[in-house]
Amino acid sequence: MIPFHTLSERHLVYAYCVVWLLQFGYGIWLAVQWRKSRA
Amino acid sequence: MKTSSGRFPKWASAYFLLTMVVMAIGFYEAMTAPKEATMGNLYRVFFYHFPHTILSFVFPYLNCAAAMLYLLWRNKNPERAAKADAFAVASAELTVLYASVGLATGMLWGRAAWGIWWAWDARLTTYLLLWLLYVSYVLLRRFSATGQTAAVSAVLAIFAAIDIPICFESIRWWRTQHPAPVFGGGADSGIDPTMVSAVLWNVAAWLMWGIFILGLRYAVERRLQRKAAAASAALMSEYTLEAR
Repeated sequence: MIPFHTLSERHLVYAYCVVWLLQFGYGIWLAVQWRKSRA
Repeated sequence: MKTSSGRFPKWASAYFLLTMVVMAIGFYEAMTAPKEATMGNLYRVFFYHFPHTILSFVFPYLNCAAAMLYLLWRNKNPERAAKADAFAVASAELTVLYASVGLATGMLWGRAAWGIWWAWDARLTTYLLLWLLYVSYVLLRRFSATGQTAAVSAVLAIFAAIDIPICFESIRWWRTQHPAPVFGGGADSGIDPTMVSAVLWNVAAWLMWGIFILGLRYAVERRLQRKAAAASAALMSEYTLEAR
């Protein structure tokens, strides 16, 4: 089990959100470009 | 990733799945590492801030090396030069991505720990400069239509790389707001041994993710280059026919 109580600090939660949103947002955008750029 | 069918090759899918597993372990390790004495749970930002910042110092060197190879090959071997240029584009975008995460997580941590979002200290200022340099590289690639874009951006990439060692060493050269290096920063540096595995798993996870993204972005850029070359060749043959 993941101890979610360690997310007690809101700035830590914001930091996690920034990481996942930027990284996976870019990853999804790139996957779309890959599909669109096929010959 | 040479297939043009739009589907990932099997080995790339397997690598992606492995990366997700390592990332999940990294997340679990970051959540279960012991609480820090002064900052409590807030210090867990470090497990994401550190890997992204360190890797944002590595990708620009790949960008610089690719830019140099492009300038070296562009007259002798255009095919190789095009590959180097595609790699330069991919590594520059990755630098912007990782530096954006490094900046954002650093600012959130600073706000909670110091009470301020930003300080014009040596590390933060040189890091902002790094981010701006690579954002300008990406914007140049996207909006320039001179025909010399690759050469101009290669020169920018070489000059931009000068900021990397200055930024990296800034926390050793000048003692300002940003903390001293956690690793390799002298006798007082280092972290508790119980936290090391969380750092290593997250460095491994974001390095693997970075390599995956780099490969995918390179593959997309190579496809775009091939499409542009085919369109250019079609246009040339049309003009040739019209001239006859």
